[in-house]
Amino acid sequence: MKIAVRLMLLAAAAALGFWCWTILFPSPEKLVLKKISSLASTATIVASDGNITRATKVSNLIGYFAVDAEIHFDVTGYPAHTLSGRDEIREAAAGAFTSLTTLNVQFLDVTVRLGADKLTADVSCTAKVNAGDSKDFGVQEMHFQLKKVEGDWLITKVKTVKTLS
Amino acid sequence: MLNANDPSGRPHWLQVLTIGRRPKTTLIRIAVLVVVCIVTFKFILLPIRVDGISMLPTYHTGQINCINRLAYLRHEPQRGDIVSVRLSEPGGLANPSILYMKRIIGLPGETVAFHGGRAFINGEPLDEPYVKFSCDWEHAPIVCGPDQFYVVGDNRSMPFDFHTQGRAERNRIVGKLLL
Repeated sequence: MKIAVRLMLLAAAAALGFWCWTILFPSPEKLVLKKISSLASTATIVASDGNITRATKVSNLIGYFAVDAEIHFDVTGYPAHTLSGRDEIREAAAGAFTSLTTLNVQFLDVTVRLGADKLTADVSCTAKVNAGDSKDFGVQEMHFQLKKVEGDWLITKVKTVKTLS
Repeated sequence: MLNANDPSGRPHWLQVLTIGRRPKTTLIRIAVLVVVCIVTFKFILLPIRVDGISMLPTYHTGQINCINRLAYLRHEPQRGDIVSVRLSEPGGLANPSILYMKRIIGLPGETVAFHGGRAFINGEPLDEPYVKFSCDWEHAPIVCGPDQFYVVGDNRSMPFDFHTQGRAERNRIVGKLLL
């Protein structure tokens, strides 16, 4: 009986140790997932957010992107355009955050694929966006490319994907 | 729980109401029900809530429906079928959170065009009794690939450019709407 209790305690301790290990040293996939989830929170603004909060969110948002990051938009009903570099992204984000009362961004069904070198990652997801007071929302398939720079995952490329060609 | 006042030893009415006369049988029934529900709603019928105006007047926002994931096991999707198309990358067992709901009008290898608000398949006008709102859509012919289906919503009253439609790969079609 004592042996059984000891074995159970040992198994519980091992499980706890493994859980602590995954918390302290998360896998690169988890880090990328966390980054994408955090990007959605940063890109979300609520009506009560003041100008300072919005300006802070813009500068935080820029921190997710590499210096030479590119964003390609090709969405149904709008002309395609590309944002190149942090300055253009900052300008676009500031414009959106100023003109919109609320913006709710969610990235759903996120799939992460790590590169062979474990320093790059491809992320596919579905973006769900509510803007303003409208109850209607837009959905868009998205593709992100990230690279690890000095221990941090930064977005190098964002591309909208047309599900229906 | 036995009723101490009941000399017959019958179970208390509360026990009968909550876990039945035979608790073991009840537990087995619950377990079977849970397994059946999980298998049904994960692998066979995918419950959905309609959101958006693109399938008006056939379906409107707030309606609850199910997608039959086994509908195309024995045959390929047919013209007129209302199907769900996944936005996220195909593959994996996880059900997607958001799906497009559209009607198939073009089959693989066919040419789809719009003239004067009517759909034309291989140059022939398509009879679409489900389209209730008239439109003036004009669009050059598009050829579906060998693995592509042309899908579009029933609500053609919105401008062509704002109506999400086009060729969907076969592996993106999750299933057919049940009701």
